[in-house]
Amino acid sequence: MCDSRGPVGVTQKLEQACLGALGSVIVLSYGIVGWVSDLRPRGERTSSVNAGDRILVARASRGDVEAFTKLVRANSSLVYRVALRMLGPEDAQDASQEVWVRVWRNIGGFKGESAFSTWLYRITMNTCLSARERESRRTAREYAEGMPYLLAEPSGGEADPEAAALDAERREEIEAALKYVRTEHRAALVLRHMEGLSYAEIAEVLEVPDGTAKGWVSRGRATMLLALAEENDKRRERRRSGGTAGEAVG
Amino acid sequence: MTPVDERERWEVLELIGACVANELEGERAREAERLIFENPDYRRVAESYSRMLVMLSALGAEEVEAPEEIVSYVVRRAYYSAFLRQAETFLGALGRSYLDAFVYYLGLRPRDVSGRESYGGGRI
Repeated sequence: MCDSRGPVGVTQKLEQACLGALGSVIVLSYGIVGWVSDLRPRGERTSSVNAGDRILVARASRGDVEAFTKLVRANSSLVYRVALRMLGPEDAQDASQEVWVRVWRNIGGFKGESAFSTWLYRITMNTCLSARERESRRTAREYAEGMPYLLAEPSGGEADPEAAALDAERREEIEAALKYVRTEHRAALVLRHMEGLSYAEIAEVLEVPDGTAKGWVSRGRATMLLALAEENDKRRERRRSGGTAGEAVG
Repeated sequence: MTPVDERERWEVLELIGACVANELEGERAREAERLIFENPDYRRVAESYSRMLVMLSALGAEEVEAPEEIVSYVVRRAYYSAFLRQAETFLGALGRSYLDAFVYYLGLRPRDVSGRESYGGGRI
């Protein structure tokens, strides 16, 4: 692409132009990357056990229901949020209840070697993975050949991508596409890109080596993009056929 | 688009995804950037990835409140289980004391080595 032949001066100018273009692409991609990274809620949900939590956990492990209730109230949204991403709204409530029953039963075994939130994520993920064991035996979905693209929404979504991402239709698309990602890969993807955990934390939660956690996130990301592109196409097609039918009736 | 086999397609997809998520370093990062720069299809894939990651991140940042039924169910279960645990301990202790007393009443308790008799509730 950047192989130009001709007089030395012209070649140098072309080389400079090519390098300049490459540089701007790299700067642009880093800009996108940095912007995406900034949006990730790093750290705020994965703080280590603070003194308050430690005391509550110690009291709850001795059978203090008041302390346990405080722990439930403080962390119920974390458990429900993860169950919602993993299982969908139909099963999230049952799974959350099951998680807390398991926490109450096993809190005496929590040694405080990891953060309480990491331990809670692990129980939540294990509960969700057991609930979805059947899914792993489901036949793999066939994806269309070629590269997946997500077309930009025409309604100025690019100007405010975060607001656009919260659009109900897009949320539905994401939730529908997530269901097509294999359960373990989905777990890793949710923890990485929705919960903002580091690979070390994901590996600890899912009890796998760091490399496996990275592989699962990577595969989950690719499958998600393919599924999302298909969902996107389907919706576009439905909208178009709906519009055509409307015009025909009109 | 250049026809690529399925495996290669996955590798490229994962490589571009890792690049957009800022997870590559050194030679791998340069390779991914070169792919994105040279091929307009891959550039569109990278844009799609960054759009998807923004959507995932925004959805993940949304506050989700757990339904109150979950908390009330769990707390009820915990109280019930704590009550059963205490009741079990209490009834166990009570039962053992009655049994001890019954054994003493029937005179079945053997004398200990010192020749003193032991009574329910401990030695005297």
